[in-house]
Amino acid sequence: MAALRDGEFAALQSLLKAPSKDAVRQLCQECFSSPPAALGPLAQRACLGLAAGPEEAEQLVSALHNLTRHVVYYGLTRAEDILSLFPENFHQNLKNLLTKIILENISAWRNEAQASQISLPRLVDMDWRVDIKTSSDSIMRMAVPTCLLQLKIQEDAALCGNNPVVSALTVELSKETLDTMLEGLGRIRDQLSAVANK
Amino acid sequence: NFTRDPVPEAVSGPPPPPPPLSAQQFSALTEVLFRFLTEPKEVERFLAQLSDFATMNKISLGPLKNIVKSILLVPNGALKRNLSSEQVKADFIALGLSEEKASYFAEQWKVNSPTLTRLAVGQTLMINQLIDMEWKFGVTAGSSELEKVGSIFLQLKLVIKKGSQLENVYVELTLPQFYSFLHEMERVKTSLESFS
Repeated sequence: MAALRDGEFAALQSLLKAPSKDAVRQLCQECFSSPPAALGPLAQRACLGLAAGPEEAEQLVSALHNLTRHVVYYGLTRAEDILSLFPENFHQNLKNLLTKIILENISAWRNEAQASQISLPRLVDMDWRVDIKTSSDSIMRMAVPTCLLQLKIQEDAALCGNNPVVSALTVELSKETLDTMLEGLGRIRDQLSAVANK
Repeated sequence: NFTRDPVPEAVSGPPPPPPPLSAQQFSALTEVLFRFLTEPKEVERFLAQLSDFATMNKISLGPLKNIVKSILLVPNGALKRNLSSEQVKADFIALGLSEEKASYFAEQWKVNSPTLTRLAVGQTLMINQLIDMEWKFGVTAGSSELEKVGSIFLQLKLVIKKGSQLENVYVELTLPQFYSFLHEMERVKTSLESFS
């Protein structure tokens, strides 16, 4: 599976003009994390650091984005696998540097990819408290314990970009409801262990 | 005892000539009343039973309904104020009922009050009451960013009563979050049980 088209590897050689290894490292991280739509502005910022023209910068940024994403997508974890992606005549030191940088970042990038996966709204936090109801308009004296559960839910990260919306939902449960819920949760736990033990 | 407000005219004022009910008729009527109190949604059935009672005992329905309305004020007030059966009996006597009938009613009150209390508690305000919970869990096989994923996800659908409408809330949890959630809910249960 070809990671990049030929021209793209050529574009990567622009990195030889980078001021330092850290600059290359920084650029790799930014290119991976950036969604395709944001590559343009990223390229413009890269122009300055690399003393490259806008077109050259764009090609470089795009190539780096594709390379890093390719490695993460296919879950390549061995140096040999990554090194073999590069063509024969690619600059040896640059190849080794890029491979090293990629290996350093691979598990963080994988987690990032998983965290930004599409999903239903996610549970971020949960708090609870138990109240005792002592009186109401329908009955003047009682002592009924009840549970208030607050769930902090974050909307789909992919939809919100960098500003995820977190909403708090407070739910009231009577003792009976809680018992039923625990029964359900217990069944989930049993099924999960059955699956894990297969 | 059953109310702090001045007793309404219809109850304390010169009562419309009450049909003289025998002890047996009174107990039949009381049964109908308590059946309604313990199942307040069965309005149609209640009205039908009252109508049958009126026909069987040759009483006109109109005055009967007025009497019943007055009588029902007492148990409703008594429930709100957690009155004992002695207090209920005293109230009925104060309103003109015979000692025998008042005693009988108070007895029925005592027998039915656990059910009635439970109903009243059930009617107490709840904020965003959790009505139902559905769930599914599965494995994420792959995504547009990762060819092979193999992680377990758990999805919950919570059905919540907001005011008079039901709302569905969908939430996804990771496995560690699920175990943490389960653990917390078990702590809540222990807490609720210690206060029951």
